[in-house]
Amino acid sequence: MRVLIFGCNRLNSSLVGDLSDRGNEITVLGRERDCLESVATFPGVRVVLTAEPMMQDYLQEGGIDHADVFLAMSSDDHENILVAQIAKHIFNVPKVVCHLGSPQLQVMYAALGLDVVGYSFGLLQDVRQAIQG
Amino acid sequence: MYVVIVGCSESGYHLSKALIAGGHEVVVIEKNEGRFQLLNEELGSVALLGDGTDEITLKRAGISRADVVVSLTGADATNLVVSQMTKHMFKVPRTMALIKDPKNEPIFHEIGVDVVVNSTHLVLASLEEGVPGRPLIHLMTLRVPGMELVSVSIPADSNIVGKRLSEIELPPNNFISLMIKKTGATLPTGRSVVEAEDELVAVTLTGDEQILYDILTGV
Repeated sequence: MRVLIFGCNRLNSSLVGDLSDRGNEITVLGRERDCLESVATFPGVRVVLTAEPMMQDYLQEGGIDHADVFLAMSSDDHENILVAQIAKHIFNVPKVVCHLGSPQLQVMYAALGLDVVGYSFGLLQDVRQAIQG
Repeated sequence: MYVVIVGCSESGYHLSKALIAGGHEVVVIEKNEGRFQLLNEELGSVALLGDGTDEITLKRAGISRADVVVSLTGADATNLVVSQMTKHMFKVPRTMALIKDPKNEPIFHEIGVDVVVNSTHLVLASLEEGVPGRPLIHLMTLRVPGMELVSVSIPADSNIVGKRLSEIELPPNNFISLMIKKTGATLPTGRSVVEAEDELVAVTLTGDEQILYDILTGV
């Protein structure tokens, strides 16, 4: 599968490693130079250093036209929402996943049809359970 | 009208002052404390300190009875989120958003933002305004694909000077929607007469721009 990932951070580096082990063709777009250099060492991984603005040019440089999967995984919810919807509605990528930290935004964008991932729901539940002992 | 403005850049400040002067009810949500203080001193209770992408802040602003939400923060992505939240969570009838990257315009229309203001186009328009011989200015792209709002200033030698609007044949789906004369702006009727140096604001189609321009300025 051709996977395009937006954002580079600790969470993504393990994800990229895992996807690379499974033989996927991966491109990572990000602003974080050190992180990009480290994920570039995995086999089958290409990286593109981005800078705002002109996000769509970077998405195209990253091969969004041919991507099977797009993962919006940066640490900025708003950026993720923007690029995930561009991937879904403008470039018609078959599978788009959007990481969101805010529980409010998770609920709303899931209702709007995005595939939303994020751990704050689980975290809230864990905290509740921890309190109740 | 009740207008909620999110993000108070300088344009947000001037917009809110103009709206208040026009008798509208306005709330400005500003996240930055320094800028909020300035607003608060200048505009009083109109200013609200908080994050315009936070549900609680939006509720404090009375967002569900807003007629329009204008999102003017410095980040396109944030303006998109504000527009979608206010539209889907609070059913605000009309959303407007500012964008900096012109390539973001299609996605804003696609997800249902009613009016997209493209700051890059506006700067271009001002530049074009200063260039003689090219008085067609793009004001904005409308939500319907291919439709746009343009402004044309009428040169003294144009052959429509002295004519009534009803006598001017425009391409289909092109309309003169506003007439700006030296004395002020008027809503044109078929009987309105075009004078030299009038500014005509028209709805046109992307492909018709040149035709419209030729009709309005041709000699």
